Amino acid sequence: MRKLLIALAVVAAWPAIAHQLNVFASVDGTDVVVEAKFSSGKVPQVGEVRVYDATDALLVTLPLTGEETLRFPLDPVAAQQGLRIEVNTGEGHEDYWILTPDDIAAGQTN
Amino acid sequence: MRWIALTIALLTAAPLAAQDRTRIVAVNHPLAYFAKRLAGDAAEVVYPVPEGRDPSFWRPGIADIAAIQQADLIVLNGAGFADWVKKASLPRSRIVDTSRGFAGEFIATDTVTHSHGADGAHSHTGTASYTWMDFSLAERQAEALSISLKRMLPEADVDPVLDALRNDLQALHDRATEIAARLEGQTLIASHPRYQYFARAYGLDIRSVSWDAGAAPDPAQIDELTGLVQDTGATIFLWEAAPPEDARTAVTETGLRDVIFPPLAVPGPSGDFVADMNAALDRLAALSG
Repeated sequence: MRKLLIALAVVAAWPAIAHQLNVFASVDGTDVVVEAKFSSGKVPQVGEVRVYDATDALLVTLPLTGEETLRFPLDPVAAQQGLRIEVNTGEGHEDYWILTPDDIAAGQTN
Repeated sequence: MRWIALTIALLTAAPLAAQDRTRIVAVNHPLAYFAKRLAGDAAEVVYPVPEGRDPSFWRPGIADIAAIQQADLIVLNGAGFADWVKKASLPRSRIVDTSRGFAGEFIATDTVTHSHGADGAHSHTGTASYTWMDFSLAERQAEALSISLKRMLPEADVDPVLDALRNDLQALHDRATEIAARLEGQTLIASHPRYQYFARAYGLDIRSVSWDAGAAPDPAQIDELTGLVQDTGATIFLWEAAPPEDARTAVTETGLRDVIFPPLAVPGPSGDFVADMNAALDRLAALSG
């Protein structure tokens, strides 16, 4: 009975564990590639991507499209100083990724 | 002329030598303190979080991450401490996760509960991250760090320093055990949920509210505290950081005795983790009768 209760507790807790938003970004040649997923594996259907430069100036805001990845052209000037990419899917689910100049340079040459 | 040239050469070489010094970045004060003691003069140890910022929730800027990526060793606490370490590419070969060896002993927590969408009310589970507050776990973190340092700094005499550090942490452990024994049967309330490992290690019943460090609680927070005192019969209140005087008055008016007991994720008054933790234990001991 105790094992059953523990099992039920774990199952009940699962949606909570599975609900965190995770963001990863990289550079692929001349594009920035952003991946946003909940830890359940689900791709967020709505939300926005905000791209900031090293001075915290907002460069661009893009809507999430429901696709696994979102690509946008790398700004060559911002590439020199790095980017912070934030994804907000609403209702408290937000995450970010930082691309340093070294990360960007590595992605441009790959 | 030759001496002048040699002097100029030495002077211009000095900054280069400084740059070449091994650089270690640690995500919190305890680990920075351990690294400084263990590495001695063989490395420069950097705690990158600006003064007044909570290292658990610090969000580094791009330049901060760029500097951290250049470090020779990045010392992580693990257990979910410092969320930023998962928000950037860090060189895996230069990372030491000091709590990896006891991941099975982490304490799970419920961190956020909210309600929306098809999932309805739910909470995001988390992990208590102030592992070093169990001083025997702190010792294991120091040992894990020492392994990386011995590999990276063969010239540093790490072992004798590690022995001394372990003795200090063991002494903290023994003191905490002895003080906790005198607090047996009492409930403590903390101003923030930072003491899970301390409570488990030393058999204490520590409940928590979630007040901002150094801020005065509002009337609703005092009501919550009063209810908690009535429910638990708590007698002692732990402040994570020195509170404003009116906050202290509000707490003691509930009948609680209070003590400033910082977990020292950030540097304490002396900058010496062991000394500052001993001072905190002194204050707790004074309330333990």
